[in-house]
Amino acid sequence: MAEQHTRARIVGAGETPYQRHPSTERRTETFIAEAVVAALGDAGIARDEVDGFGVASFSLGPDHAIDLTWKLGMTIRWVMEDTNGGASGINMLQHAIRAIEAGDAETIVLAAGDRMEKREFHLMTDRYNRVARDYMAPLPLNGPNALFAFLTERYGRQHGLEREDFACVPLAQRDWATRNPGAVYRAPMALQDYLDSVPIAPPLTRYDCVPIVSGGDAIVVTTEERAAKLNRPSVGVRAIRSLFNDDHQDGDGVNTGFAKLRDGLWDAAGVRPEDVDAAFIYDDYPVMVLVQLGDLGLIPAMDVKRYLHKTLLEDRFPVNTSGGQLSAGQAGAAGGLHGLVEAVRQLRGEAGERQVDGAELALATGYGMVLYTHGSSHNAAILERVA
Amino acid sequence: MSAPFAVSECRVCGYVAYPPRILCPVCAASDWKRRLTENGIVTELTVRRPVSKRRQLPSGNWLDQEETRLAAVQSDAGVRIVARVPAGVEIGDRVKLTQMASTAIALPGQVVEARPAGDGGSAAAAGGGDGAAAGDGAAADPIVAPLSDYPGRTAS
Repeated sequence: MAEQHTRARIVGAGETPYQRHPSTERRTETFIAEAVVAALGDAGIARDEVDGFGVASFSLGPDHAIDLTWKLGMTIRWVMEDTNGGASGINMLQHAIRAIEAGDAETIVLAAGDRMEKREFHLMTDRYNRVARDYMAPLPLNGPNALFAFLTERYGRQHGLEREDFACVPLAQRDWATRNPGAVYRAPMALQDYLDSVPIAPPLTRYDCVPIVSGGDAIVVTTEERAAKLNRPSVGVRAIRSLFNDDHQDGDGVNTGFAKLRDGLWDAAGVRPEDVDAAFIYDDYPVMVLVQLGDLGLIPAMDVKRYLHKTLLEDRFPVNTSGGQLSAGQAGAAGGLHGLVEAVRQLRGEAGERQVDGAELALATGYGMVLYTHGSSHNAAILERVA
Repeated sequence: MSAPFAVSECRVCGYVAYPPRILCPVCAASDWKRRLTENGIVTELTVRRPVSKRRQLPSGNWLDQEETRLAAVQSDAGVRIVARVPAGVEIGDRVKLTQMASTAIALPGQVVEARPAGDGGSAAAAGGGDGAAAGDGAAADPIVAPLSDYPGRTAS
């Protein structure tokens, strides 16, 4: 076992029900606030104990983290706002752990959320960054689907995969989602349903793309000492690693920075990929689930086809047991925390009907921020149950 | 409405950037020149589904009701380009890259269109030629001026 495991614990997790077409008074701050309250309730920690707050959101503006803490009545001594989309959850966790270890804060709430309807989604993609606005939107690109169609085609060519193979990711996740009352897609899905679904940007069809929802997620991070007094299982972070902009967008987008952070991550954690009981992989598209699992060492001998049909679909190795964003929904920046929230539930043995037996060790990842052709931001954490 | 397609090349080490960067990721220099990049090969292709309702976004860009054929193009300069392609272009085709005006009103844009190489008679391909790209200030500069700083820009 490696020596430098982090000295902070995740002690609570909360998620608002993901919603399509919420009423107009349910704003971004509403969803985030509900997630914060839920996470604190789950932790059994009072609001007034919180002395650090971090938030990620695409649509909170013109408000910022500090406005939210005021509206939530929090006096804090540590604040952060994260703009890294799908990588924001683990990025905030990394910063929060260091702040707690350094004594800058004792109990930090990390939250993310968006009211995200078609209109808000188009506004988000239109002002995502200058390149999206000035180079991509005028094509018109209308969001990232076409870019991930390219990556899917490229990855499929490299590994000899057809649509029937990629289908295993959304099919397996949908099977998990049937046991998650919070998922927006809960109906069982058959291969034929997937193959017959509406083309969005071929080879991508509807079930390769996340349903856009509104919602919020939050977790509570605190010291080992405070966690011990809660008399409930908590979640420790054995290792956490990030890598941003490693290829300057010159790579092919399907051999990624995850491969470069892999060895450092597992060495620091003192465990191996095969030790993991469940994985929570940022799933904006099925191809990215495979890319991350492969680059992080979870696909033996890179036999992707076998992994898809045998490990994921037949053996039901637990990947994205909430249904992931592909079935549960993508609530904007909350997608960056969604996997962590589900990981915490599983590791604490509180995942209800979809509980993975003996879940002790988990991998959670974040990915995102397309700068031109593919994501620039990669991070991953190895989480463990602490009884 | 169209100009030869150009990327940025680092004068110090030759690194090719598109879209432009400020410091060279390889040698950290900030001395860029414009390099014309005529052709490339289509490596991936898709047809983006149209949106249900045509409307304009605050940036001036339009959400389009038309289907858009989009391609990843490996340019001769080495850098991968996202381009619009006309019907008939297939994976593996050699294409000519042309910089088109934006779909946004009165704004010089960065839309790249890839047409079959040798399709010299098309309106798109006939646009420029001398590299001066008159009227398209964004394309003339090695570091492209951001559209947000365009003086005529309005927020609707």
